[in-house]
Amino acid sequence: MLNMQNVTKIFRTDLVETRALSDFNLHVKEGEFVTVTGPSGSGKTTFLNIAGLLESFDDGVYDLDGQNVRHLNDTQRSRLRNEKIGFIFQSFNLIPDLDLFDNVDVPLRYRGFNSSERKRRIERCLELVGLANRMKHLPAQLSGGQQQRVAIARALAGEPRFLLADEPTGNLDSKMAHSVMQLLKDINDEGTTIVMVTHDPSLAREAKRNIFVKDGKVSDVTHITASTPEQVASISASGACHV
Amino acid sequence: MLPFSSWEIGPIFRAMTRNKVGAVLIALQVAVTMCIIVNSVHILMERTEQMARDSGIDEANSFYLSSTGFADDFNDQVVIQTDLDAIRALPGVIDAMQINAIPISGGGWSMGLQTQPGAEFEGVGTAVYMVDDHVLNTLDLELIAGEAFQPSDIRWRERSQRDWPAEIIITRALTENLFPEQSYQDTVGKTLYINDDEPVIIKGIIDKLQAPWVGWERLENAMLSPEQTLFSSSMYFVRTEPGRLDELMPAVEQMLADSNKGRVVRGLRSMQETRERTYRRDQAMIKILTTVMITLTLVTALGIVGLASFNVNRRRKQIGTRRALGASQASVLRYFMLENFLISSIGVILGAVLTVGLNIYLVQSLGLTKLHWWLIPVGMLTLWLVGQLAVLGPARRATATSPAIATRTV
Ligand SMILES: Nc1ncnc2c1ncn2[C@@H]1O[C@H](COP(=O)(O)OP(=O)(O)OP(=O)(O)O)[C@@H](O)[C@H]1O
Ligand SMILES: [Mg+2]
Repeated sequence: MLNMQNVTKIFRTDLVETRALSDFNLHVKEGEFVTVTGPSGSGKTTFLNIAGLLESFDDGVYDLDGQNVRHLNDTQRSRLRNEKIGFIFQSFNLIPDLDLFDNVDVPLRYRGFNSSERKRRIERCLELVGLANRMKHLPAQLSGGQQQRVAIARALAGEPRFLLADEPTGNLDSKMAHSVMQLLKDINDEGTTIVMVTHDPSLAREAKRNIFVKDGKVSDVTHITASTPEQVASISASGACHV
Repeated sequence: MLPFSSWEIGPIFRAMTRNKVGAVLIALQVAVTMCIIVNSVHILMERTEQMARDSGIDEANSFYLSSTGFADDFNDQVVIQTDLDAIRALPGVIDAMQINAIPISGGGWSMGLQTQPGAEFEGVGTAVYMVDDHVLNTLDLELIAGEAFQPSDIRWRERSQRDWPAEIIITRALTENLFPEQSYQDTVGKTLYINDDEPVIIKGIIDKLQAPWVGWERLENAMLSPEQTLFSSSMYFVRTEPGRLDELMPAVEQMLADSNKGRVVRGLRSMQETRERTYRRDQAMIKILTTVMITLTLVTALGIVGLASFNVNRRRKQIGTRRALGASQASVLRYFMLENFLISSIGVILGAVLTVGLNIYLVQSLGLTKLHWWLIPVGMLTLWLVGQLAVLGPARRATATSPAIATRTV
């Protein structure tokens, strides 16, 4: 699904050169839930940005879903992001002037779906995250946890194969963090591949695999056992967002 | 090409209504700008049209000057005849004559003409030009009916004299004013009354000759009276061959000054200069209105650039997020162009209403003419275009926003 070989990213400013990633190697298989941990400044966000085609890289090979993305132009990258990748951000990144419905609608419009298709997807996904009754609310009228749920609904609405999250629980208290984590696990169990950066070791342990990044390199990989029966039950209850 | 839904018109509009101060101010600015520009263009067109009206004479090759005798033995009648003979004999001069007033110059003589005698009847106003039998050639007029003056028709008019010659030539516009029911050809030979009851006969009709007063609504009402004036000052009107005006103006002035030391020659002026002086205020008005229009358009464009730049900066994270969610650079560009288009649309619709309102006010209070309807759509299109051009720069800057902003900003 995601395959990085010797990916190198160098940030150059007038004074300094920062090797944010150097010879970064990682293979994520279809359906995996990978958490990424590591010290601040180790290159986690940089990795995620490159994986999500938000940033280019200087050296190495990156295949996404069997496609070498190195030489894609901006329009092709935008399209891949739109169709294959869902993003969840630490600070939610909802658009403050749009209500929840319109927020979830954003990627669907770029996709070119017609309005009834969009409406169906938006309603299903907001329902999945338990906010179907708040569709006309503005983000500012929601709690942080609720906002992140909207962001997840937005990330899922286009049915991406691949979900990228950069500290999605970083701005939430631990109770909300775990409920968001549970939601992500449910989504993963439905087949969506997830890569999530987190600082929280207890959350990292809940994933199938954890990688530890240090100095722009993968320095440790931990495999964790499969989901508990209790989680399996919650998936069938949610029905996920696949429409 | 993505379907229409990807244009995001609905969300753009809804987002705008939640954050409307800037948009409303710009829309108002667009409306006021459109109102002022369209009405200014209308005034400009009206003025330009007025200025473009043909005076009927060969302005490019004509000039005039006056001679005032002061010597005790100064004999006007002799001097005038001698002067005219001498001017007409100059190589390059097509013709010359004495005249009492200059078309479009601002100063002249007017009378009322009526078709029935009696003080109880309302006369039709006309400019009066006292001319001799050289008039058609000197002013380059076209006689379209009747006959021209013969040398024998011309009489001398003393300063105190009140009566009028038996026959006159009038313009087509004047005869159509006097006899609205008849074709102008049929009015030749008809009797008119001047000074309430003094009869004069229409000897001929000329196609066109403007009165001295360009602001007068009956500007083309003029009559030619076959007489030469013996007033203290005589004005000579000279028509030259094309291209010889500049050389002949000083030459004629010099010749007259030299030929008789008992007079002063002054007031030498070309018809072109006369036209310039007459329409100077209109020219100034055109310049001021044009400056106002350009300034206003620039200020509006700057306002749009300002609001769009502000929005682009304010929404950097949002733009990055949209890019992360799959917006292409073209989508981002389109977002800002469309947003501006919506603001402009509100502006120009309001602007159309204001424009018509201001025009109605100007028609009622200042006697302006009604606006051509097509100026409104042209004004709307112009302001739409100004808006789109103004927003292009900020919108292109927005497209350069890196999608990485989405994860890199808090
Ligand atoms: N735009 C940039 N210009 C220059 N250097 C950058 C830029 N973005 C990141 N870096 C540097 O690259 C390195 C990796 O940064 P990155 O954001 O990937 O770290 P991180 O692991 O996500 O850290 P954190 O846990 O604090 O979010 C850091 O040294 C950072 O300063
Ligand atoms: Mg980071």
